Amino acid sequence: MTGSELRARAVRAGLVGAVGLVYLALAGMIEKFQERNLIGSFLTLGDLLMALPPLLAGYVGTRPRLVAGRLEAAAPRAVVTVGLISGAIVGGITAAGVALVEALPEGAVRRIFIQVSPELLSILTFGQGVPVGLILLVIFGAALGGLGAGFRLLPQRVGRPIGVGLATTLTFALLQRIFPPLLFELGLDTRWLYSPTLLGLTVPGALVVFAISAGLTVLWSARGPAVRERVEQLPPDRRRLLNGTSLLLLAVALVLLPQLIGSTLSQVLGTVGIYLLMGLGLNIVVGYAGLLDLGYVAFFATGAYLTALFTAANRVTSIGDLVAPEFVLSLNFYLAVPLVIVVTAFVGVLIGAPVLRLRGDYLAIVTLGFGEIARVLVQSSWLQDYTGGPQGLRDVSDAAIGGVGFRDPQPFFYLVLVFCALAIFVSQRLAGSRVGRAWSAMREDELAAEAMGVSTIKFKLLAFAMGAAVGCLSGMLFAVQIGSIAPASFTILVSITVLAIVILGGMGSIPGVVVGTLLLIGLPGLLDEFEEYRLLIYGAALIMVMVMRPQGLVPNVRRMRELQEDEAAQDQWLKKEEAPAVTVGGGGAS
Amino acid sequence: MTQTRQSGEEPVGTVARPKTAVLAEKVPIRRIILVTLSILIAAGVLVGSWKTLTLTEGRISGAGWRDFLVFGVALGSIYALIALGYSLVYGILLMINFAHGEVFMVGAFASYFVAQSLETAGLLDRNPVLSILILLLAATAASMAVAVLLERVAYRPLRNAPRLVPLITAIGASLFLQYTAASFFGSDSKGYPSIASLEGTWTVLGIPVAKTLVLTIVAAVVMLVGLTFFITRTKVGKAMRAVAEDKEIASLMGINVNRVIVITFGVGGILAGVAGVMFALVFGLVQYNMGFIPGIKAFTAAVLGGIGSVAGAALGGLILGLVESVAPVLLLAGIHVPAPNQLRDVVAFSILVLVLIFRPGGIFGSSEPERG
Repeated sequence: MTGSELRARAVRAGLVGAVGLVYLALAGMIEKFQERNLIGSFLTLGDLLMALPPLLAGYVGTRPRLVAGRLEAAAPRAVVTVGLISGAIVGGITAAGVALVEALPEGAVRRIFIQVSPELLSILTFGQGVPVGLILLVIFGAALGGLGAGFRLLPQRVGRPIGVGLATTLTFALLQRIFPPLLFELGLDTRWLYSPTLLGLTVPGALVVFAISAGLTVLWSARGPAVRERVEQLPPDRRRLLNGTSLLLLAVALVLLPQLIGSTLSQVLGTVGIYLLMGLGLNIVVGYAGLLDLGYVAFFATGAYLTALFTAANRVTSIGDLVAPEFVLSLNFYLAVPLVIVVTAFVGVLIGAPVLRLRGDYLAIVTLGFGEIARVLVQSSWLQDYTGGPQGLRDVSDAAIGGVGFRDPQPFFYLVLVFCALAIFVSQRLAGSRVGRAWSAMREDELAAEAMGVSTIKFKLLAFAMGAAVGCLSGMLFAVQIGSIAPASFTILVSITVLAIVILGGMGSIPGVVVGTLLLIGLPGLLDEFEEYRLLIYGAALIMVMVMRPQGLVPNVRRMRELQEDEAAQDQWLKKEEAPAVTVGGGGAS
Repeated sequence: MTQTRQSGEEPVGTVARPKTAVLAEKVPIRRIILVTLSILIAAGVLVGSWKTLTLTEGRISGAGWRDFLVFGVALGSIYALIALGYSLVYGILLMINFAHGEVFMVGAFASYFVAQSLETAGLLDRNPVLSILILLLAATAASMAVAVLLERVAYRPLRNAPRLVPLITAIGASLFLQYTAASFFGSDSKGYPSIASLEGTWTVLGIPVAKTLVLTIVAAVVMLVGLTFFITRTKVGKAMRAVAEDKEIASLMGINVNRVIVITFGVGGILAGVAGVMFALVFGLVQYNMGFIPGIKAFTAAVLGGIGSVAGAALGGLILGLVESVAPVLLLAGIHVPAPNQLRDVVAFSILVLVLIFRPGGIFGSSEPERG
């Protein structure tokens, strides 16, 4: 690579990194996340966010380039120089921004960008004030950029354990609300690992976590392939036994979990379960059948409202009295379940039928329209006698069995667990069934599927009905969990959140939905300061996943191939280019 | 700028047609539902309007209807300006730029901050014409920048991806921009500074009309005329039409397709910026989520008039604005639905759903739904 090319890359990476750092500062994340200690008082989440842009600029900016099918890395010294320069640019631009804010009359910038507080400026200049702090900021950027680039120079057997170790340590630090109570209940002393006052990992704790995870990575890279091969060579019955045992262990762990982590975190898990159900339902519609539904919240709402109306609830009148809605039954919850499922599935068909012939993006907008219509109708004064209007319905009865209620977080978790297990089982079986195969055929090429005798109308309706049925389960549980429902809980943002879960995890992949829900619902639930930025992060996640990894984090193999058809063709072409060399080498050896 | 790409796939269509016909005979549910739906709607509209117009008490006066109509036209002009952004982009890329409503929001915010400074400087009252020009300039610049950036970051890497991929990205971008505005500028709604010389009414054609509404309608007409001139008379406009016809052939003719796409996003952004200022002047508020619902409604307008066509977007906007302003009262007051204006969004979204179901090509286009 030529010098000018390298310079251009350094500048580009630096500019992107600078935009990132300035964005994080303006959004207020760097200041707000200072409260969250990750390792001692030595590294906070805010510090981490401040360090990431230059680090990533150095790392990504020195990525080897694909030239004519071959990865071409720059010389080690050039790599470090590029890293240093891009990091310095990140620091420099941010420093220029800080200087600008300080130069303008006080409060002039804050009138527009409300997060630009004196505290933020002090954090960015390391508390050193203008001239010294700005120089420190540039040096800080350059050092981290160089570090990021230097990481690239490490051979894989050194770099990988370090990377995994760092990631694991950070994960442990971020899960600081879940691990300490868990370990404490197991009778372990955690004070050496997690600091009781600072909440984050202690410095020795962090070192131990890092050492263990890095060590395990080294071990796995030495032994891993052999172990995997042995598992693959097990006779089928032994493998089934192994799978069964791990499933059983997982079940036992899940059953014990709420008792170990306590009530507050069980509440978070309950919410995770509700979104998991919705994710599984939307996964059938979007992932299996390829129909983008943006009004999915309608089924969630239908489930919740029908549960309330079928199992007794009250509404608040304009003068504040509690009265029963115009139409209300008082069924047992478990009797209501099949009824609600049938009604919601019918609603799904009703919504699906008129839009069947629409193209994908129009379908998305129409379903979005349906979702909004449903919400506005529910909260209108017109239907207030049935739905309770903006105040909604309250006193929804509990799903008690023999006097044992499920409203408290811990019992509720078990209820959710049962429903989720059921939904996962159904999804799993559906995917491999004739129906699932018809869906994937339809998703890949509608005309071809129709020509092969797949009734696309029937299977599209079936997808809508199945998706609606699973979605309404989450609505039912939601009504039971909080006991009162209001239209404010059923906005379009719920639909988009669930979509983000499915997309992030990987369309059509059940483990993907689980991972997506844990990341997008569980993590914000564990760290309160994320709550404010939840939707911002969802938006960014949707864009980033689609641009960089459209198949999602835990991809469904088949779906991945569809999304990467072009890349696959490219890979084929590359292989062809390399092929002669391989045969010559092979021939010489034999 | 109509899309003629579909005709190129004619052979595939003809092969599939008999099959679809057989299926339609086998499963007439769809037809039954559609026919029932249209009869029900027609009956509802007739009965509702009849009852409202013959109300004995609480009858709406002629002046009341007139005000609804004027407001509808102004609202429609705003929708039309936003709808053009959807339409232009759709005409070229065949994708729904879901985040276009946020481009409009950014324009409104930019003009809000400038208006605040102008108010403190006293220029807003001293020289309203110059101030409004400055506001428009700020809004269009900001909206254009965001629209172009959006294209560069979120859409260009996905130019050849399956169709749903850019749509999902666009949803993400919409969410991202909304909550970026919320965390940068605060999530409370902000009162737009009032311009003294825009308060009160002007008499237009013997009707008193609020000055902001007059300004909105005039601005929309000016922008529309300008856009039509730009597309039909300038070289860049010609290039845009060529790219909309066929990207590959256009690039063979020496047109820089990427540049044309960027310009298209920019033009859409400018129109949305103007709409943002007008919206803020009429409603007097800016908030981070102000773009979402108008964005979807403007999309409805674009589809209503036939997406991809400039005149269609303008007309669709006008119709939607009028219907939204008149229909809730006209249809619902008579059958004693309390607070019919709460259901304004239901009317707009119902139109969206109905148009897409019955005439996805727009009310002036074909009734054959596009597939793909």
